[in-house]
Amino acid sequence: MHMADALLAPAVAATMYVASGTAAGISIHKLKQDDEPQKLPVMAVTAALVFAGQMINYTIPGTGSSGHMCGGMLLSALLGPQAGFLSMIVILAIQCLFFADGGLMALGANIWNMAFYGCFVGYYLIWRPIMRSNWFGEGKSAQRTRIIAASIIGCIVTLQLGAFSVVLETSLSGITELPFGAFVALMQPIHLAIGLVEGLITSAVLLFVYESRPELLQCVNPEESETSKRSLKTVVAILAVVALVVGGGLSLLASSNPDGLEWALFGNAEEGYAENMGLDEDNFGVSSKAADTAGAIQEKTSFLPDYAFADNDTPAGTTVSGIVGAAMVAGIAVLICVAGGFFRKKKKAA
Amino acid sequence: MNKMQKAIRELAEMDEMAVRSSPVHALHPLSKLIATVIYILVTLSFDKYDLSGLVPMVLWPVLLFQLSGIEVRSCFYKLRIVLPLVMAVGLFNPFFDKTVVLQLGSLPVTGGVISMLTLMLKGVFCLMASFLLMATTPIDNLCAALRMLHVPKLLVTLLLLTYRYVGVMTEELAVMTDAYHLRAPGQKGIHISAWGSFLGQLLLRSMDRAQELYSSMLLRGYHQHFHYADIPPFRTRDALYMAGCALFFLLLRCVRIAQILGGTLVR
Amino acid sequence: MIEFQHVSFAYEKNVPVLKDLSFRIDTGEAVGLIGANGAGKSTVMKLLLGLLEGEGKILVDGTEVRRDTLPEIRRKLGFVLQNSDNQMFMPTVYEDMMFAPLNYMLSRREAEARVDAVLKRLHLEDLKHRYNHRISGGEKRMAAIATILAMEPEVILMDEPTSALDPYNRRIVIDTIRELEQTKLITSHDLDMILDTCNRVILLSDGRIVADGTAEDILHDRALLEKHRMELPLSLMGRQE
Repeated sequence: MHMADALLAPAVAATMYVASGTAAGISIHKLKQDDEPQKLPVMAVTAALVFAGQMINYTIPGTGSSGHMCGGMLLSALLGPQAGFLSMIVILAIQCLFFADGGLMALGANIWNMAFYGCFVGYYLIWRPIMRSNWFGEGKSAQRTRIIAASIIGCIVTLQLGAFSVVLETSLSGITELPFGAFVALMQPIHLAIGLVEGLITSAVLLFVYESRPELLQCVNPEESETSKRSLKTVVAILAVVALVVGGGLSLLASSNPDGLEWALFGNAEEGYAENMGLDEDNFGVSSKAADTAGAIQEKTSFLPDYAFADNDTPAGTTVSGIVGAAMVAGIAVLICVAGGFFRKKKKAA
Repeated sequence: MNKMQKAIRELAEMDEMAVRSSPVHALHPLSKLIATVIYILVTLSFDKYDLSGLVPMVLWPVLLFQLSGIEVRSCFYKLRIVLPLVMAVGLFNPFFDKTVVLQLGSLPVTGGVISMLTLMLKGVFCLMASFLLMATTPIDNLCAALRMLHVPKLLVTLLLLTYRYVGVMTEELAVMTDAYHLRAPGQKGIHISAWGSFLGQLLLRSMDRAQELYSSMLLRGYHQHFHYADIPPFRTRDALYMAGCALFFLLLRCVRIAQILGGTLVR
Repeated sequence: MIEFQHVSFAYEKNVPVLKDLSFRIDTGEAVGLIGANGAGKSTVMKLLLGLLEGEGKILVDGTEVRRDTLPEIRRKLGFVLQNSDNQMFMPTVYEDMMFAPLNYMLSRREAEARVDAVLKRLHLEDLKHRYNHRISGGEKRMAAIATILAMEPEVILMDEPTSALDPYNRRIVIDTIRELEQTKLITSHDLDMILDTCNRVILLSDGRIVADGTAEDILHDRALLEKHRMELPLSLMGRQE
């Protein structure tokens, strides 16, 4: 789900930076208030662990393919939403800086799509209400069921939100000609499957932690199973979750060919999905019936106004002289390389 | 070699490149960071049909590769992640946008083809730019630059600490993965029976590790403050580099170099 | 310098780890703390450093280890962890070594002078600007010792300083330890190293001190060592046959 720079217009990238930056600022403020100095090393080590853990291949029984973990839900269940969010930011930053996984300008969008939903929505609307509820009764086994339910619902919902944001951001950037509806129909069902697998993996890990060190989990009371009444907030949250899940299911049905795609994805796990730490799934282009609208928005929001193009008669601004010029630029680039090689050799010889 | 070991090698390679010396390495990290950001923004701001306007943007990364002595090869290795993604998005364009915008001899070129090529080039250019930044700037210097930009200290410290432990944890998981597969030949991944315990075990150990790490910080007088190496001074040449780059990009953005160059030959 | 007075400790109630421990270490002594796994060696270290709180009294240089005296106490103690990766959390060796001096309000110039002096003394000058995640195990251990020396502690505590080192690096670490003039408390299962570096040995078994004497006496006592699940140091094996 990591977006590349090329898929975003500067204005969209900047907007997402502002949004993610604000969330990060609030998180830092909250963490400073809580004043738990030992949290920093825990965050760093857990973030490093999740970074490495994303590379593990989990065999999905009966399919011969493998799934992966992204970690937003896992981090917020372990560290809480704010610390989880910040940890996720540094994971994404390291992936983008050192592995070209996502881009420097797309980082803001990636943080929003993967970390914000996974940590804040996943925690406040799903993990906490479910863990504090008395769903499935009381006692340890009910607690286990709640962990499984929260992980799976959390991963599915947050991935649906993330996938939808990817479509929205790419469409607003006016990059592809793929109609908005078709793009959504491609992305959402695939992420339903991915979210389900991720949810299963996350719940397996969290259950293991619960059995050995329940005190490490947020909102899990190892001693007494707190019996709080379901508040209005919880009900609203549950309704929202149900709506999202149903919506995702409907889009699965609505999709013109839901069959081939997800298995193509998972079948390619080794080369594609896996190799890219889970990115192939947004290999499906952008843009809406309002391709023109998007274009217009981009026109207005573009980094620089387009006044320099008045003389271009074709929409491409591409003329024969343009092509010849491009070839000449390429020639200049080759010349620079040759010159660079020449000077280096000279330097070595000297 | 498993995936984690490959990742460790990739990190090691970046580290090795970043500490070399060249005129580009010697520049202040802040000026490099800002120049890179401007470059990417300008690149992204080209219209989706403006292929000929975009092409000259290649000159800056090419020049930097030559000045810094970084091999283009290691950058193109990273393209394996960006290109499939960008291409998959772009590949739809030729099917949806069939307006012929140009006739090359008997071959009609549609808007979709142009916008697909533009998108791909943008992907490659942006990758080269951020790759060059990281290949010529060690992570601690980059963090110093982030501090100068007033990125909160907590976040920068977390980034550095995490970076420090990414290698350690990846190494441990690499060993665990090998150990798992040695006892489970023929399995492609982790079997469902071990889904929780595989990462879970390491997670619990990591919590102890974090505790020990925190002790180690406390025992050396940590009180919520991290001191980092001196931030190198921002010199005139750094400012000049930054301004020069920005001007160059603006020039490429506003003046249609390719058209003008081509115009001298074709009339 | 260090004094334990009737110290007891238990992680869980009724499962005591240390039982009424009393001993004294004088300035300049080099003491090896030995014992089988689970004998309570690391707990002694953690109590002394104030990472755990137990019953009884622990004095460092006449000051009791209490929550309010911790900053003062910890300034005098340098603890070399068994796992250097956990100790070295900064990006480079240099920054790691600067960490403690800067925290103790030294100016950057003073701190740097200190760091350079330590590096020179341990012949580690070329490690200075290397990355902590790019140096070998042996280099890492030496760098970890250097980080602690940069604090200029009065007492050096070491947990398994020679574990997982090859013979060559192990020898370097042993020679380095021997040359340190500070009071030393070292825990290890590497009894040959203890024999080489310590003049006194305390043998812990099951949370109690079962022997306290010169290294020569205790490490030569095969019956005593074997009774407490230890073995004679390899270098002494031949001599007694």
